Amino acid sequence: MDPSSRSQAVIETDALTKVYPGPSGGVTALGGLTVRVAPGVTGLIGANGAGKSTLIKVLLGLVEPTQGTAKVLGHDSVTGGEQIRQVVGYMPEHDCLPPDVSATEFVTHMGRMSGLPATVARERAAEALRHTGLHEERYRQIGTYSTGMKQRVKLAQALAGDPRLLLLDEPTNGLDPAGRNAMLELIARIGEEFGIPIVVASHLLGEIERICDNLVAIEAGRLLRADTIDSFTKASQTLLVEVEEGRDALARELGKRGLTARPYQRALLISIASDGDGDDDRTFDAVRDSVAVLGLPLSRLEQRRHQVEELFRDDDQLEAADVR
Amino acid sequence: MSAETQQAAGVIHDLGYRSYDGKRLGRKSIIAALTWHSFRSAFGFGRSAKAKIVPVIALVGLCLPAIVSAFAMSRGNPRLVDYDTYVPVLRDLLMTIFVAVQAPELVSRDIRSHVLPLYFSRPIKPVDYPLAKYLGFTAACLVMMEVPLLALYAGSIANVHGGAQVWAQTRALIPGLLVGLMWAVVLAAISLFIASMTGRRAFATGAVAIFFLLTYTLAEILLQVESPPDVSKVVPGGPGAPPGAVHIVQGAPAVIPLAEKVSGLFSPFTLFDGVRMWLGATDTGDNVPKVGGFGAIYAVILLIALGACLAGLAARYRKATLS
Repeated sequence: MDPSSRSQAVIETDALTKVYPGPSGGVTALGGLTVRVAPGVTGLIGANGAGKSTLIKVLLGLVEPTQGTAKVLGHDSVTGGEQIRQVVGYMPEHDCLPPDVSATEFVTHMGRMSGLPATVARERAAEALRHTGLHEERYRQIGTYSTGMKQRVKLAQALAGDPRLLLLDEPTNGLDPAGRNAMLELIARIGEEFGIPIVVASHLLGEIERICDNLVAIEAGRLLRADTIDSFTKASQTLLVEVEEGRDALARELGKRGLTARPYQRALLISIASDGDGDDDRTFDAVRDSVAVLGLPLSRLEQRRHQVEELFRDDDQLEAADVR
Repeated sequence: MSAETQQAAGVIHDLGYRSYDGKRLGRKSIIAALTWHSFRSAFGFGRSAKAKIVPVIALVGLCLPAIVSAFAMSRGNPRLVDYDTYVPVLRDLLMTIFVAVQAPELVSRDIRSHVLPLYFSRPIKPVDYPLAKYLGFTAACLVMMEVPLLALYAGSIANVHGGAQVWAQTRALIPGLLVGLMWAVVLAAISLFIASMTGRRAFATGAVAIFFLLTYTLAEILLQVESPPDVSKVVPGGPGAPPGAVHIVQGAPAVIPLAEKVSGLFSPFTLFDGVRMWLGATDTGDNVPKVGGFGAIYAVILLIALGACLAGLAARYRKATLS
């Protein structure tokens, strides 16, 4: 990592450890997490309990790490918490909106709480609500909004303070597929066109990977992998092959061709090997040839995208390779 | 943005994003903004008309005696109510209703709607939130206490003639304003502390109301029970009684029994009266504790109660949780 790229990082943690006190040594929420987040849209992937919430709390300067350091936009999380919170917009995972005020009133108030003067807060609230597509409904009480609209208000209040970094915690929570798409579209747009670095925490890799430039995967408070989206998904792709009979024979045949196939229900899962120059066809060719040689009735062949839990728990090979 | 994505995003209009490079206010200004916001919320501003009903009725109710007094004075009667006691039972009741309904409005609804994480993610410290709420609500209680007194004062000086009389009214008003400040500071602390325990507004309102009404009733009962019997009916000594067993003799000033001196310690309202007496007020109503030499204890207990409630309120928000 060269010094110039280091200075560009919006988030940098070094051996970040957080142990919550408790019986038998306490609970380790973060265990020596070292990660660097570049500008752009970054997915923070982890199963529930992986340490995402604790990481966000540390980054906002609300929880002091037990060990290690975290820097956000150049401010230390322990000594510069207030400076960080001044320039970071945070969208919580859970419902956080009062039902009996209008969106305008609420977002304006939260803008003032970010340190904007009254008139600026009012202007920016109107703009944030316009950018999130709530312009028409902004004078309605939030309690009358749909789930999708409420999510947009949550995003708007994070945007109102003119953040230099957005932390979005499970922004698609509770949305239907159309709502999810619209929300992801909006996040991608804020990242690209508004030029605001965004960290999107999610437990659904498949969902956010398409809007992310980079991914950071954590499990049990440790970094699993941090990389650009391309190398990430390539390595994490698997092929599911289902044959009506002769599954074990196929596994042996694939083994001969240098592929590891793991039984998964009635099918086989095969990691799609990437030799680095983008030539993934080798795996597909091997599967095709194996099935043809054995003359098996092939009923399903699909490229799978995983929920992160499945991805990291099942794929021992990947985990072994990537835990550093 | 391509036309395609614009279509997909539907309602999003592309008018460009402008960032703000102007001045950002610091922590103190944010606390001030939240204090002002809390003050407004205490009267239902920024909310629906329904939210304004209770504060308006309570304030009008508190001002009525002042208006009646002004009317009576214009007919040549003396001022009907005092500045320092005002209308005791009415004020106890209406202030209880006001804080019981409005304190949950300030703190419980934020707990209920889980909006606290949004405050904690702002450039303030967790303790700034209860601080601003307390300052705002104290100011609101102060309005409830002092506006009727100022109305009474205005009505009075409009009906008196001569600088000496105006001065007399002003001199009488000042202790009244100070009593109002004492009420506001303490009532806001107690009611916010109780209300911050729960996010259910109905429970919070009930808890605050029950606390004030129950302690008030208890203190008043003790006061009545422990009041010395009518002095003229006490016969000194009985046959066979040790000499000096009964101190109260006809015509002599009554010695205040210990029980009566402490009976007012159990309710904020009687504590206010006790402190007021200790500070030299002369009013001795039927439901005012006779503090005797215990006046300082009333003040100490009141300060301890205030300190405990504020510490409890701060502790309630010490941990910045995001869920």
